[in-house]
Formats: sequence, C-alpha cells, structure tokens
Amino acid sequence: MSLRWPRFRHLRTKLSVLYASLFAVTLVLLAVVAQVMIWTHARDSVRQELVTSGSVYDRLWSLRSQSLIASADLLSRDFGFRAAVASGDRPTIASALANISNRAEVTAAFVVDQDGQVTGPSGALAATVARFPFAVPGGRRDAVVVVAGQVYRLIMSPVMAPMQVGWVVFAVRLDSMEMQGLERLSAIPLIATIMRSDGAGRWHAADRSVGSNAAVDDLVEASRSSRTLATLNLSTGRAFAIAKPLAGLTNRPQAAILIRYPLNAALTPYLPLQAGIALAGLAGLILVVLGSRRLAMGIAGPIAALDAAARALEEGSRAHIVVKGRDEISRLAASFDRMSAGILERENRITHLAFHDVLTGLPNRTFFRQSLDQAILQVRRAGGGIAVLCLDLDRFKGVNDTLGHPVGDALLKAIGTMLSEVAPDGLVSRLGGDEYAVILSGQFDADRPRVLAQSILDMMRQPVVADGHHIATAVSIGIAIGPVDGEDADELLKNADLALYLAKEDGRGVFRFFEPALDAAARWRRQVELDLREAIQAGQFVLNYQPVFDLKADRIGGFEALVRWHHPERGIVPPAEFIPIAEDTGLIIAIGEWVMQEACRQAMHWPEHIRVAVNVSPLQFRNSGLQAIILQALAHSGLAPDRLEIEITESVFLDGEGPVIALLHTLRAMGIRVALDDFGTGYSSLSYLRSFPFDKIKIDRSFITSIATDPSAAAIVRAIVDLAAALDMETTAEGVEDTGQLDLLRGEGCGNIQGYLFSRPVESGRIAGLLENRISRAA
Amino acid sequence: MYAFVFRLTSMIVALALPMAAHAATVAIDVRGFDGKPLPGAVVTIETPKAPAVTVRGPYMIEQRDIAFQPHVLIVPVGATVGFPNRDRVRHHVYSFSKTKKFDLKLYGQEDARTVLFDRPGVVPLGCNIHDSMSGFVFVTATPFAALTDQAGHVSITGVPAGTGTVRVWHPSIRAPGSTASQPIDVAATGFATTFVLHR
Repeated sequence: MSLRWPRFRHLRTKLSVLYASLFAVTLVLLAVVAQVMIWTHARDSVRQELVTSGSVYDRLWSLRSQSLIASADLLSRDFGFRAAVASGDRPTIASALANISNRAEVTAAFVVDQDGQVTGPSGALAATVARFPFAVPGGRRDAVVVVAGQVYRLIMSPVMAPMQVGWVVFAVRLDSMEMQGLERLSAIPLIATIMRSDGAGRWHAADRSVGSNAAVDDLVEASRSSRTLATLNLSTGRAFAIAKPLAGLTNRPQAAILIRYPLNAALTPYLPLQAGIALAGLAGLILVVLGSRRLAMGIAGPIAALDAAARALEEGSRAHIVVKGRDEISRLAASFDRMSAGILERENRITHLAFHDVLTGLPNRTFFRQSLDQAILQVRRAGGGIAVLCLDLDRFKGVNDTLGHPVGDALLKAIGTMLSEVAPDGLVSRLGGDEYAVILSGQFDADRPRVLAQSILDMMRQPVVADGHHIATAVSIGIAIGPVDGEDADELLKNADLALYLAKEDGRGVFRFFEPALDAAARWRRQVELDLREAIQAGQFVLNYQPVFDLKADRIGGFEALVRWHHPERGIVPPAEFIPIAEDTGLIIAIGEWVMQEACRQAMHWPEHIRVAVNVSPLQFRNSGLQAIILQALAHSGLAPDRLEIEITESVFLDGEGPVIALLHTLRAMGIRVALDDFGTGYSSLSYLRSFPFDKIKIDRSFITSIATDPSAAAIVRAIVDLAAALDMETTAEGVEDTGQLDLLRGEGCGNIQGYLFSRPVESGRIAGLLENRISRAA
Repeated sequence: MYAFVFRLTSMIVALALPMAAHAATVAIDVRGFDGKPLPGAVVTIETPKAPAVTVRGPYMIEQRDIAFQPHVLIVPVGATVGFPNRDRVRHHVYSFSKTKKFDLKLYGQEDARTVLFDRPGVVPLGCNIHDSMSGFVFVTATPFAALTDQAGHVSITGVPAGTGTVRVWHPSIRAPGSTASQPIDVAATGFATTFVLHR
C-alpha cells in the first residue's frame, strides 16, 4: 500500500502542510515519549510509594494488633477478672467483657476457658471464637476470620491464675470504618479495601467496592509469598495495587487487605506537566505553521507570481513582475520579465504588421474593416454619422511602368502621409495597391465629407514629390454616407466603391457621392454577369460580320467578326452593354475563345481571298492561353493562318509592352495578321508602331465622321495613311457612312473601308448573298 | 481436646524383700511427652488399705528470689502452710483454686502468713505482683505421695500389697486436674514401673 501525497493547488500550501506535518509528527513523538516517561515515572514512584505504604500498613496493622493485645492482656491480668474467670463467675465475666468492649473499641470480647467454653455475646461468631485459641498455630495471637460474610480480626490473651485458665478473645470487625482509619494514617491517598475469599480462590470486596476480578485473585495469591505490585483495571479506573493477605485460623488466609492507588490520582501531579507539554506543543505548532507559511510564501510567493505572470502572458496580457532579492528565483523572475516584454513587443509588432500596411504604415484593409464595424456599432449606440471615402489613384500603373516600383512606392507613401495630414479627423487606411479609404465617424459636419474630398483633390493638383520626382497625379473618390447609404460595413464599402467607379467613369480626378441609381446599375451588372455565364453555357451568342471593302481590289477583302447576344428575355443585347462587364469579370476570355472558334469555322465557307478579323481584348492577352486558343481554332477549322486577322487596341500595352510584343511576334511567325484597332484615340503612341510591325492600322471612326467637314481631321487621316504607307502597313477606315467620305478616303490613299455605306454587320447566312451582290454591283 | 493414655510399658517383679509380707515398695519412673524423665511430678498411690494421713509439720513455702520455694509442696489434708517472705520486696500470694481459695495481700518479711489446707487437691499459687511466680500446694489424703526427683524417679515405701490406683500430677499434663491415673496391683515383693505420658 502506497501513501499517496495529496495534490496541492498551491506550492505554499504544500510546503506549509509538509513542514507542519513534520513538526506535528515530531511533537506527537515527543508527547508520546513524555507520556511514556511520565507513566513510567508515575508507576515507579507509585510502586515505591505503595511498597512504602505496604510497609507502613504492615506496621500499622501490627501496631493495632499490639494495641489490641495490650488491651486484652490488661484485662486478662486483672486480678479481679482472673478471680472471676478462675471461679467461673459468668455474670461478672460478661459484665467485665462488655466493659472492655467499650473501652478498647472492639466489636466483641469473649472468654474461652480451657475446655473451650465461651463466655460473651452469643451468635455465629462465638463458635469460631471457641475454636480460635486451640486452632491457631503456636506463637500467633491473632487471626482474621470470616463469619457470616463479616470479616473479623481476633486477638487472644491467656488468662493465668496463675496457671492458664482460659483466654480473653477480642473480635474487631474489619469494616470500611476500620479501613478508613488505616487510610487516614497513610501519607498518600490510598484506598484500602477488605477482601474475603469465597474458599475457591476468588476474592470479593467485603463492601463490594471492588468487583470480582481475576487480576485481584492473582495479586492476592502472589502476595502470600512476597509483596507484589499489580495494575488493576477496575470499574472505577486503572489503579496500582498491593495486597496483604491476613492469616486466618489456619495458614490459608480467608481475608486480605487490598491497597490501591488510582492511576488518576497517581498521574494528577503530572497534569500540569502534561498540560505544559500540550500547550507548548500547540504553541510550537502554531508558530511552525505561521513560520512555515511565511517561509513558504517567501519561496512560493514569487513562484505564484511567476505562475500568474505566465498565465497572463498565455492569455495575451502582460503582468510586470518584480521579485526582490538576488537568489535564483529573483533572477528567473527578471529573465521571465525580460522574456515576456520581448514576447509582447514582438507580438505587438506582429499585430501591427497584421493590421498595418508595411509600406505606408497606415492601417490595412483588415484593420479598416474592423474599425468600420466598430464605428458603425458606435454610431448605432451613440448616434452621429459615418462616411466612407474610397480613393483610387488614377493611372498609377503608368508611374510604376515609367519610373519604376521604388518611385511608385515612394508616391504611395507620400500620398498616405498627405491623406493623414489632410484628414486628421478621419481614419486613413490603405486598402491595397493604389486604393485608399478614409472613415469619418461620430459627430461631424454634414458637409465635411464633401469638403474633405475636395481638399484631397485640391492637394493633388500640385505634383507630388516622390523619390526626387515631381509626379502629376490625380485621384478618384467615391463617398458613401452611413447609415443612409448602408447599414453595415459591407454595404457601405460596396456603395463607396460604386461611387468610386462612377467617379472613374466620369473622367477621373473627381469625387462622386453614392446614389441609389448606382446601386441599381451595379445590380444590373451583377445580373448581366450571371446571365453571361448562362449564355456561354447555352450558346446564346452569335457572330455578325461586317465586310471590310478593299478599295484597291474593289472587292470585299474580309469580314470583321462582331459578337451578338440573343438574350432569351431581352432579345439582342448590344455589345456596349455586356462587353465591359465581360471584361471586368473575366468572362471575356471564355467568350473570346468561342468567338475565335466560331469565326474560324465560319471563314472556311468563304472564298479563299476573304479574311476574318477577330477582336482580342487586353484581358485575353494577359491570359497565357491565348496562343493555344488561336492554334486550336485554326486546327479545328482548317483555316489558313494568313486568313485570320486579330485586332487589338493600344490598351493591351498598358500592362507592359515586352510580353505582349513577344506574343505578337509569335503569332506573326505563325502567319497570323495583326491589326491595331481604334488608332488615333486614347493614349495613341507612335512608339507602339515602332515596337511592332502591324499589318494594318484601323483609323478610328471619330476622325472619319468629321473628315468631310473638318480639315484637321482630314489632315490627321492623311498623316496616318502616309505613316502607314511609310511603315508598310495597310490602313482601314472605320465608320464610313457616305460616299463623300469614301471619295476623300480614296483620295488620301486609304486601302480599306468599313461602315454602313457599304454594309452593316450581317448574319453569317447573308454573307454569300452579300459577296455575290457586291461583286455584281462592282462589276 | 487432648487424649492421655497411661500405658504400662514394663513391669519388673522385684526380688522378695525381707520385710513383712503386706508392705511393699513402689518405684516409679515418670517420663514426659518427649520421653525424657519428668521431675517435679507428684505421684500418689491410692489403696483401700492405706492408713490415714497424719499432720506433722511445719510446712512452709518461702518466697525467695521472686519464686516459690519449693515449687511444689506436698502436704496432708489439714496441714497449715506458712508463706514466709524472704525477699526484700513484698508479695501478694493468692490462689483461685477450688481446693483452697485464699488471698494473702501484700506483706513483707516481718509479716507471718499461714493458710490451712483442709481439702485434698491441687492449689496453684500465684503472686499478683509477680506474674512469673508460680507454685503448687499438693494437698493429699493418702500417705503414699512423693515428688519425682531430677531423674523423674520416685520411690514410695510401705505400700500395702494389693490393687490400687497410681495418679501422676504435673502442670503440663493436659487433662482435667492435670492428672493421669492408672490402676496397679502391688505385689508383696514390691512394684516397679515406668509411666510415659502420652498425648
């Protein structure tokens, strides 16, 4: 069986209990030793006292015997009494006996003559007294007998006249009174009891104060040969005892005196000592408990503090811990303190990184979202307003491309700083890329969002100095005001984004407030997006073809494939409505793939000199699969690569020229023709014409429309045509609507025309007729 | 109680004496319980043919050296015994015996005290002052009475032949009257025997 040490929740309790337990055990052992010593000492001293008392009792007993014998002798030697006994004068004898009984304080007095005749009180005692002088062994003059349950001491004295004529016999009843007389003569508080034998070795107290007890029997028996001390378990408690057997008529005693000394009485003198030990032990225990508690606190206190600090650290907070001293624990505490400080500092840094933008040090999108949520809750609780301003730098990509990323980063940083300065009452965050946002919350002037937006725009009018460069930049700002424009953060942010989108649409460098219509437009866009996905699956797209007329050959040289969407509910959806959405959502890639396949397949039905032109969006260019799609379309249809012409706009170069030009060269190497669409608008840069040898330049319709009325337009068209001729590129004029325009274009030397003058885009089924009709008309 | 047996252990017929045929000498040895000769015992022979005792006197028991001298005095019935005090101290001689009660209150050397013993029997003597003093007056009705000597022997002459009773008295004999008795038949030639006292 193993002793299990209880589990303690606190070190100080454990230490306190350990020390207190050890001391308590020591105390108990000491107390036990002390108790044993006390008991032994008490026993020894009581034994000594009892032995002494036994001798004293013997002495008292014999003194009493001598006294009685002296009294008996006095009587037996009285001349008159002897005369009475010798002459058998019984009345005189009886009166003399009665007289001496009173005087000598004996229970009864008798005279026994030589013939055994008894004179004295009659009764059972008289018969025993008659035998007494003849029965006791020679030399003894006393005996103790039991008659009718009473114990008597008998004393005899011969009556000489001068020859012996009889005996005077005294009988003294040994009762409690007699014993108390003995007790009073003792120096120590003893209890003397007369015991009588039942003849079978059992001893009983004459006054029944001691019950039948085997130990008493043994004690009396042992005491016949020598003085013996015994410890008795009596009903009145434990007691030390000795016994004094009293000789009877024969040598076998009929009675004995039991002298006992109650253990309680023996131990009474030691009570103060025991109480002292107990009190000292108790006081010591209290002191040890207090002391060990104090010591344990000294040891365990710092450990508990360390424990608490470790817990606190675990839960993310930090408790500064100071332990005085120069021991291991204080050093540990100091190390722990430094460690926890380090951990917390790193954690703060990590938290800061998690919630802040590394570049600008502004809160990031996550932090922005949380702050917005909190601001909304705060406004809901405490009232006030909330405004979200979403900012987007206009044409930031150009800065990165032309000046490099370090400059771009410096610009972002500078703008972040500027925003923080101009909006000290708002929370400025960088949401990512060139997007920023400002939250205004609480009590602010109703006009404050507009004023802030305007001051941002004003600030941007000056070129921003970034990394030594003066950069002219602009921002578009969308503003949503809560809770009118949105109950929650998602809605507010979405609506601010919509407003931003609107600002961008409206020409950039402006701010727009969110309007519900914007939301409707956004919903429309989402619906279109959903429908577009279904349209791809369901094949709701069809291709229309607009002929490109070759002025030099005077015939149709090709068709431009234009996608049309037959919406099952809305009918034909114009490309202007769904193409931007397809561009934004990336669906343009799937649509473009289908267009490429369908256009190539269709073109196989046409005469071999007729090409097909397919528009490819910048997104398709960014997608790495474009080359594979084109190859697949050609392979499936069996169309010769030189009959396929892809049309791109300058915007494909906005994301970087290098990869695009490499791809264009690859396509060119396959024999595919490349045309530059919408030339003359947008960012039209002549450097593109140098970087890639396009097969054809398509002059934007805006120049063609006014060519007949605006001489400058005509000049530009002429310059483009000349430039193309010089670069060995073909030209196509778009949007030709009347013959005047046609004549001018022909005069300038433009190679191809496209427009309603010749034909609107037609369905594929009408192409055959168109070819036939044109040919016949041209003919 | 004690039982005393008086046993004749031996009988020796003596040679015929040149005396008258009807008078013989009786010789008796008395031995105590321990078998040793018992001195100071009184042996009497009672016989029908005994003559009456005659008082001759004087009889005396002195008190000398805090003792009765002699210790035992055999006197005939009717004798008067004197108790002269020879000590310097005074004595108070008394007897509580049934044979003769008397009480001689304190007296000294100058005082003469006598007592008449008119009945046969043993009279123990005591002194009330001196418990140690003990003496006996043996009052006999027969002339054949004698005290054993140191050898426990007694020899009584002139005893008529024929049957009789021998009585031995001694204080140590635990029998009524401290006396043991035995019938005897005295031959003309004499009689000799040894009495051994038995418990």
